[in-house]
Amino acid sequence: MTAATINRLGLALVALLTVAAPWLLPLVVDEFWVDIYSEMLIWSLLAASVNLLFGYVGLLSFGQALFFGMGMYGVAIGVAKLGLGFWPAFGLGVLLATVMALIAGALAVRLTWHYFAIITVVFSLIFYFAALSWKPLTGGDDGLSFSMPPIVSLGDWELSLTDPTVQYYFIIAMVGICYVLLGVILKSPLGWAFRTVRENATRASLIGLNVYLIRLTAFVIAGFIAGTAGALFAFFGRYASASYMFYHVSGEAVVWAIIGGAGTLLGPVIGTSLLIVLREELSHIWEHYQILVGVIVILVVIFAPKGLGGLWHALVNRIARPETPDPVAGDKREDQP
Amino acid sequence: MELVIALGMNGIVWGLIIALIALGLSIIFGLLDIINIAHGDFFMVGTVMAWFVFDATGNYWLAFAIVPIVGFALGALIEYTVIQPIKNAAALSIVATFGLSIILQEGVRATFGATPARLTAPIEGTVLLFGLEYEIYRLFAALLSIAAICCFFLFLHRTKLGTWMRAVRFDPETATAMGIPARRVYMVTFAIGFAMAALGGVVAGPITTVDFQAGVDILPFCFMAVIIGGLGNMEGTVAAAVMLAFFEGVMASFTDPTLARIGSLCLMSVVLLVRPHGIFSGATR
Repeated sequence: MTAATINRLGLALVALLTVAAPWLLPLVVDEFWVDIYSEMLIWSLLAASVNLLFGYVGLLSFGQALFFGMGMYGVAIGVAKLGLGFWPAFGLGVLLATVMALIAGALAVRLTWHYFAIITVVFSLIFYFAALSWKPLTGGDDGLSFSMPPIVSLGDWELSLTDPTVQYYFIIAMVGICYVLLGVILKSPLGWAFRTVRENATRASLIGLNVYLIRLTAFVIAGFIAGTAGALFAFFGRYASASYMFYHVSGEAVVWAIIGGAGTLLGPVIGTSLLIVLREELSHIWEHYQILVGVIVILVVIFAPKGLGGLWHALVNRIARPETPDPVAGDKREDQP
Repeated sequence: MELVIALGMNGIVWGLIIALIALGLSIIFGLLDIINIAHGDFFMVGTVMAWFVFDATGNYWLAFAIVPIVGFALGALIEYTVIQPIKNAAALSIVATFGLSIILQEGVRATFGATPARLTAPIEGTVLLFGLEYEIYRLFAALLSIAAICCFFLFLHRTKLGTWMRAVRFDPETATAMGIPARRVYMVTFAIGFAMAALGGVVAGPITTVDFQAGVDILPFCFMAVIIGGLGNMEGTVAAAVMLAFFEGVMASFTDPTLARIGSLCLMSVVLLVRPHGIFSGATR
């Protein structure tokens, strides 16, 4: 088998397990894990938005929580304050996040590396404090909760996320769409332009690529993805809160993305899953389980600097029959200059 | 008007303490190329150690001597175990120090507890200054920070180790070829960074609360001082820290603290966009 085949088989297996999860997880562990799994998938989108910027364009954003929060507030304000239905509220959340990313990105992508990281933190902090102090609209510290509107209602029959199975499949469908979208973008010429900018921005501009525009496009797409994650999380928890916009949330997303393997499409899912499973499992055993999480994070970074996704690719490449280099599997990245 | 003066002075005092902490961040950043997410927690650990020293001995002055030394040792230990294996990978350093930050915060929560505590200042009383009663301890904190910052600059420019540090930062390979033990210099630098943050914690202890989450608030502020002052520009870091805190203090006398924070953040983004290499970049280059 070639490396690409193994990767495809692995992906198919994960997809199959994901679809079967509502039946499988209660059999193996506990029904409650179905919820955890949806939560993991939502958070993995936030990590994926970090990964798109850092792993593929070389911009380290410490402010993705801003767009996550915009998605959350768009939904919560839409439903609770404006009385919107399900889809308009969802749309409002994603739109708010995307527009925010366009405005913030237009300013932020003029900077690179350390400066870019700092300005994304600054932007997200500005809106974090704004959300905290603008209590009538955002609910400040307490957050803003709402009751779930139905997805579709035809006469008496209605489909709503209050049904756990519907909620699960709705979330995996949305997350799945985002990943397919990311996959398509990363395989397109635009995706290769991203990587070119990451490897060497000067050369990219010399061969005629508009580096600013490419970075901005990536930033807006990342904002869209993070906003979708936020909107889904708002529906999932039925509320929005400023605490999700704090830079610590962005920092966690960066950690998930790098632990999972920056520059691999599904690395963020692996990293996020690992850390959320750790949290769920260890928190029962020891109150101060976070210490163990910290130790594990450091150990992964020391012993698997390319992340768990990188380990997977190394393993697959060792098992697989040698072949002509595959552009997706051989998606290695150099360290930042 | 009195409120403006009082809050402005508080801002300057706080800015000097931040400058002390941010200098530690700046040398770690500049010399090791480590983006130290745990630096705020180094400060927090300093305040907590000061609390423990005070709790055990009843004498806060001892903390000024003991805590930086313990901080230095902890810093050296951390550099050896966590930072050295991931040397020269800034992205990994973020994740590793994030892990470190989790460990420190949770470690403090496990030992010190989750409830914030207050420390009483070792010097009580007020003094009449610019027409208002001002706490003596705050003045003392400012003077001590200035003294520590001066010592740091003397160390950096007048001692062999300080020269080595600057040399390694300028060109690690040549420095190593000239016989400078670069690895040891890295370790000492990180340890000094931790010690300075811890000293900042002791100085700030009686002004703020002792809380395992204190580092989270202070970290962005330190990074902003470092960036606005200009990466690697130590004097700029000090000036930027004091100016930012002063600005925020004065702003806080007109509006509520959250809006003041938003104001200083907006100012900061303007500075970053207009002068990305720091407001003093023209003066040094």
